[in-house]
Amino acid sequence: MKSLLTVTSSIAMLMSTCALADVQISGYGSIIAGKTLGTVDDPLKPGQTRDEVFTADFYDVGQYKNDLTFKAESMFAVQAVIDLADNFSATAQLVAKGVDDFEPEFDWYYVTYQATEHLRIMAGRRNIPMYYFSEFSEVGYAYPWMRPPSNLYWWQVTQFNGISAMYDFEMGGFSNTLTFFYGNEYSDDNVEMIYYNKLYGGNARTVNEFWTDITGMNWNISGDNFDLRFVYFTNDRDRETIQQDGSIDPYSPFSQTFMGLGGNISLDKFTLLFDINMVDYDDNVGTEFPTYLLSLVYNWGDYQPYISYSKADHERTKGATPTEDLEEHYVLGYGLRYNFLPNAAFKIQYDKFVDQGHKPTGWAYHGDSRVITFGVDFVF
Amino acid sequence: MLWPVKKVTWKVVLAVSAFSLLNVSSAFAEVAIVVHPSNTSTFDQETIKKIFLGKAKSFSNGRAAILISSSSGDPVTDEFNTKVIGKSSSQVKAYWSKILFTGKGTPPQEMDSASDIISAVSSNPDAIGYVDAGAATDAVKVVATF
Repeated sequence: MKSLLTVTSSIAMLMSTCALADVQISGYGSIIAGKTLGTVDDPLKPGQTRDEVFTADFYDVGQYKNDLTFKAESMFAVQAVIDLADNFSATAQLVAKGVDDFEPEFDWYYVTYQATEHLRIMAGRRNIPMYYFSEFSEVGYAYPWMRPPSNLYWWQVTQFNGISAMYDFEMGGFSNTLTFFYGNEYSDDNVEMIYYNKLYGGNARTVNEFWTDITGMNWNISGDNFDLRFVYFTNDRDRETIQQDGSIDPYSPFSQTFMGLGGNISLDKFTLLFDINMVDYDDNVGTEFPTYLLSLVYNWGDYQPYISYSKADHERTKGATPTEDLEEHYVLGYGLRYNFLPNAAFKIQYDKFVDQGHKPTGWAYHGDSRVITFGVDFVF
Repeated sequence: MLWPVKKVTWKVVLAVSAFSLLNVSSAFAEVAIVVHPSNTSTFDQETIKKIFLGKAKSFSNGRAAILISSSSGDPVTDEFNTKVIGKSSSQVKAYWSKILFTGKGTPPQEMDSASDIISAVSSNPDAIGYVDAGAATDAVKVVATF
């Protein structure tokens, strides 16, 4: 009831603003149901079995188990863009997710200043442009699958408060956009980190995750049949795991580098989507996370069957015991998108998650799973 | 029993041929790209495509383009997207939803009828839209047909 009241009053607030300024209201949403298909040996409790668990959304810990649920990925978002002047606007997105019991939150809020025809400056809260699909990872209508591959888009931080400058230019007949960004994220009560703490038998009161001095760039090039994006950024990492007695676990801060190349290429009726990324820590064991996605979509009128393969790995490249025997998994997915209305698509997808992590050291903590999901993505 | 079956068969054949005639006629319908009569910019398919994808933000006369499209369910929208953009309407909508919800641009304003589009384009020197070629009037300038 509380959330319903919040939504109603927030919408009423947006509506009343309409009367005063030029406001464009739009939005997107997904109503998705799904379940896993079997049981698996519990990787962290030898000798016990449990439901297969498929994590569709790592950041919010949206998971499928054997019981059919609508809560893991269903969500609804309303965006208001308020034009305050010809070249100045304020944007907010009110987002309600099943994983939060549809309690709405302002996930995005930023101002945009169109400095020149080619230069746009945005300041406020936005998604970090990490992976190719990161910025619009929740806009299901914008991509063919049910979700960008969750086993790559697994970070405990996805948003930041900061400033971005986007510069558009033409080069060699191609449209280019260079984006530079800087910001910080102080994620108190981080949902994913407290989940891992409990998964490994911890009893922490909370975990606060800090990503600071997030500094980097995107270079986007697009032509008739392709869109490519290169990304590079660095940031500092720190964490507070606060125990029940108020004590804070020791933690060694470090910095990380994120690099990647992703995009899509259209070949007649086929679209190839890919994303190749590497995350490096400057910690004393040389932690690396190489990941990649490959997907092929067949565009057949209103039907788009597709296949997708995403692979994630975790290695230590220096220190006393360099090893590749850590976390490792892939997801192989098949599905169909059917554009049954001009602004809505039905999707059905089957995914097989194969955990190739190192069992003796507890790195195979996901366990294998097979999941079927189906639902509708829409925009308005 | 033979006779009634034949009768039904003929009805089906007739219905199918009527349907394919309709299809042929719709495939021959042309889309006219329309701007304000005072707009002297140059247009080719590549320019029009870039303008309607938000990749080119202004005309060759230097003025910022204001984009108008027909509504999502209108057959002329499918015609325009297939012939000029080279994608299905849902692919174009997916493209714009990525841009709209990341704050990187604003999709064309959708209008319900050809007369609404013509009246909007004829009253704004920076507007560009498209209508069924048969619906274009003297109030606007047709810069290309596809």
